[in-house]
Amino acid sequence: MSRVARHLVLGSVAATAMLVVTACGPSPATESSGEPAGEISELDYYADQQGSRAWQQILDTCSRETGITINRQTVPTDQMLPKILKDASSRTLPDLVFTDNPTLQQIASTGALTPLTDYGISIDGYYDSIIKAGTYEGEVYGLAPGVNGLALIYNEKLLAEAGVEPPRTWQDLATAARKLSGGGKYGLAFSAIPSEEGTWQFLPFFWSNGAELSALDSPEAVEALRFVTELVDSGAASKSVLNWNQNDVADQFVAGNAAMMINGSWNLARLDEEQGLDYGVVPVPAPEAGTDPVVALGGEVGAIPATGADRQQAAAEVLKCILAEENMLAWDTAHAYVPSRKATAEKFARDNPAMRPFVTEVETARSRTAELGERYPKVSQALATALQAALAGERSPQEALAAAQREVGRS
Amino acid sequence: MRGTRTASGWLRTAAGVVIVVVLLFPLYWMINASLQPGGALLRPNPDWLPVDGTFDGYRKALSTQGGPLLDSLVVAGGTVLVSLVIALPASYALAQLRFRGAQPLIFALLIVQMIPGIVMANSLYAVFSDLGLIDDYLGLILADSTATIPFAILVLRAFMLAIPRELTEAARVDGASYWRTFRSIIVPVSRNAMVTAGLFSFLFAWADFLFAVTLTTGRSIEPITVGIYRFIGNQSADWNAVLATAVLASVPAAILLVIAQRYVVAGVTGGAVKE
Amino acid sequence: MTVVAQRPAETAAPVPRRRRRGTGRQRWVALAFLVPVLAYVVLFFGYPLVNNVSMSLRDYTVRSFYTGEAPFVGWENYAAVLRDPLFTEAVVNTVVFTVGSIAFQFGIGLALALFFAGRFPAGGLLRSLLLLPWLLPLVVSGAVWRWMLDQDHGVINAALRAVGLADGPTPWLTDPGWALPAVIIVNIWIGIPFNLVILHGGLRAIPQSLYEAAALDGAGPWQRFRHVTWPLLRPVTAVVLMLGLVYTIKVFDVIMVVTGGGPANATQTLTTWSYHLSFGGGFAFGEGAAVSNLLVLVATVFGLFYLRSARSSIAEAGT
Repeated sequence: MSRVARHLVLGSVAATAMLVVTACGPSPATESSGEPAGEISELDYYADQQGSRAWQQILDTCSRETGITINRQTVPTDQMLPKILKDASSRTLPDLVFTDNPTLQQIASTGALTPLTDYGISIDGYYDSIIKAGTYEGEVYGLAPGVNGLALIYNEKLLAEAGVEPPRTWQDLATAARKLSGGGKYGLAFSAIPSEEGTWQFLPFFWSNGAELSALDSPEAVEALRFVTELVDSGAASKSVLNWNQNDVADQFVAGNAAMMINGSWNLARLDEEQGLDYGVVPVPAPEAGTDPVVALGGEVGAIPATGADRQQAAAEVLKCILAEENMLAWDTAHAYVPSRKATAEKFARDNPAMRPFVTEVETARSRTAELGERYPKVSQALATALQAALAGERSPQEALAAAQREVGRS
Repeated sequence: MRGTRTASGWLRTAAGVVIVVVLLFPLYWMINASLQPGGALLRPNPDWLPVDGTFDGYRKALSTQGGPLLDSLVVAGGTVLVSLVIALPASYALAQLRFRGAQPLIFALLIVQMIPGIVMANSLYAVFSDLGLIDDYLGLILADSTATIPFAILVLRAFMLAIPRELTEAARVDGASYWRTFRSIIVPVSRNAMVTAGLFSFLFAWADFLFAVTLTTGRSIEPITVGIYRFIGNQSADWNAVLATAVLASVPAAILLVIAQRYVVAGVTGGAVKE
Repeated sequence: MTVVAQRPAETAAPVPRRRRRGTGRQRWVALAFLVPVLAYVVLFFGYPLVNNVSMSLRDYTVRSFYTGEAPFVGWENYAAVLRDPLFTEAVVNTVVFTVGSIAFQFGIGLALALFFAGRFPAGGLLRSLLLLPWLLPLVVSGAVWRWMLDQDHGVINAALRAVGLADGPTPWLTDPGWALPAVIIVNIWIGIPFNLVILHGGLRAIPQSLYEAAALDGAGPWQRFRHVTWPLLRPVTAVVLMLGLVYTIKVFDVIMVVTGGGPANATQTLTTWSYHLSFGGGFAFGEGAAVSNLLVLVATVFGLFYLRSARSSIAEAGT
């Protein structure tokens, strides 16, 4: 019996004991007709109209190609995990789930997911980092049709006026940002909110400086946090970063309040719409010249919960279709993501030169969960708290990170 | 009617207008933002009037949010009905009849209100998925009523306490049953309080997001608060459309509000209860 | 209704006798009238409460949702929560947030209710308009407030500067000292309509003749408020304050949308903390449940204390 099947049996026994959870839910391991089901349910969080429309097109294409009807559900981002957990407990999981990659291992650890290799889905040619993000205990449970990362996006006009070159190193960045600040404007905008989003934005500084998530209070980590704190303290970045999510950061950039921002490729479509705004993209500055920045890998991975053999088979057909080259390219072009297979990404960068810096970065990007697995969310939360404490001036970077390490070590 | 149309009356109107303007400024700011390109209000000198207005947001909202608006109306209306049907007899018993246990019951009603919404929503989800009430008007109505019934009882009871017992007991002497006393004295006299309780029940249900997002899947019914989330993605938010939807969603509810308020004023029960 | 109003005098005498005789039967009648609400409470509140208590006594992880396995750990979750350095901060924040919100919501609500109690042109319309903030989903009003409170470009700081109330920008949402007052202000704004409407209803129920009598006795406006309005408004006041307490203590969306509990946990209350424990990254569902149970417990104690100290109408009713 596979591990998953064992979980399932244990699960149903336990569930029978629990009064409420019992009645519904198929017993997946038993009913195997061998034929894929004619329809499946799918869950994602592409709720904004532009993203939603692009995703719907991919689903429509794949529904046509496979002949399988896809019932789509979309939830707000922060409702995704609660929804999956609720569905898991009432055995009403959707057949195909697209979730943020750092949550994949968490969900896989419940035993609700099935390995993609069981369905003959190839894992060849993908970036190592995305495979790592989708792997739990040696099995690949999730694959992404597109990935993303952060870069430095700058306002060409404002930089030219100030006579500033796009920064490549931390030193450049601090100097440039200070020079671009003043008169109610700031050189740099980024997000440091107390959630995963804040951590995700800080990680490029953290990792590029050689710090590791296993030691939050290392000298490299402290140095990275001190650098970011000084950007705010010196007035090169607004203290409001404590309260800005990435949407707000983009709003500030578009409004001309920030000359540069740390943000993701998905913003490019929106920036293109703004008249009179010329922007450029460079990788997130590295601590020193000649070193490559290390950003965190973003993107949503598709996973197949155990919902019954025929439905799982159908979900696999659809996932295969979504991961096929032309569909992958269509989705990534529409949503400004980077294809998750190296060869495809290369082709994509040739056709979309503006995406080149992002494609370059993805090659060295790291999976957030590779190191810590299902412990990552807890560490991420501690790191975001430290970031907030330091930027708000509650604690020194040293103290904030020491507290974070204690918090993580506590349990 | 003393002082209604005198100079001092108009002075009060002027003061009232100032109060309303100050307190409703955030609403104005929202309407302003709904007519300007995203991020426009963050500029160093934002436009106080949407001179270069755009109706993009409204176009998007109108094309997609008709169904959700209707769903919200059904749910909110149903919640008012369920809340009043359950709360009215309970309030009568708690205010006018004598029995032990009234105080603990009222207290319990208050305490259960403190169960955090997420806990309620998650538990109701488990129960409702067994009962087939997910994606169902009735399910949402019952869930929203959990928040409105205790409230309605407290409000109705507080008003019913002011009805002299002699009034109802006199009716009893005349041979009316408790039920008839309730129906033909208590209910008509409490009309004012019923409108207040009903109004807030409506607003509760209208503005609810947590139950709406937990107990629907977006396949059949979708309340407006969830509809708004269509424009807020994890990576971009179309604030024009969000705010336009919110503005449009306020319109039917605002009309209802004004009508209900008139009804409160018209149904002066003070006379019946006087002395 | 005029018929009704005439009755009391005729029947004043037999009432006490009937009341004594009727008490036993009234209990059953009362029960019959209460059946619907009792059923509702048991069905819809009993289950969540029991479920949450049970969860707080177990080691509940993401795995538990799927497998149903959650070992019993007794008071372990409660101990962990109490040991957490954030506990004290969250409790203090919750108290400040609740007391601050209620005091101002009630005070402003009462002042407005008194103001609108007098009749003047368009008074009813203006009063109805004040309810509009209630129609907005919190996702929206929260976001609008966030823009308005923006340190550098928010309209509030611009207004303060314009009228000369502040020199520099006030760091509403970015300074740990200012963030809590800022979310309290937002919450007060949201709560005013509720207080206004209920108190307005209460004021209308006070017979006009009492004011006329008091005026004849030479009572000034303050004395009329002190000796007529305030005592007669007390049942309604009790309801408003009690409801204010239960609704404010569990406020969630306002804080989540405006500050997300930050900066540096400065606006973390028991409710938002409970959510963070469960879904913020630790997935400590047992601890999250423990915090929300503590919240219910704290509120119960508050409520009991309130019932004892204030001889409110709620206390009187049970006797």
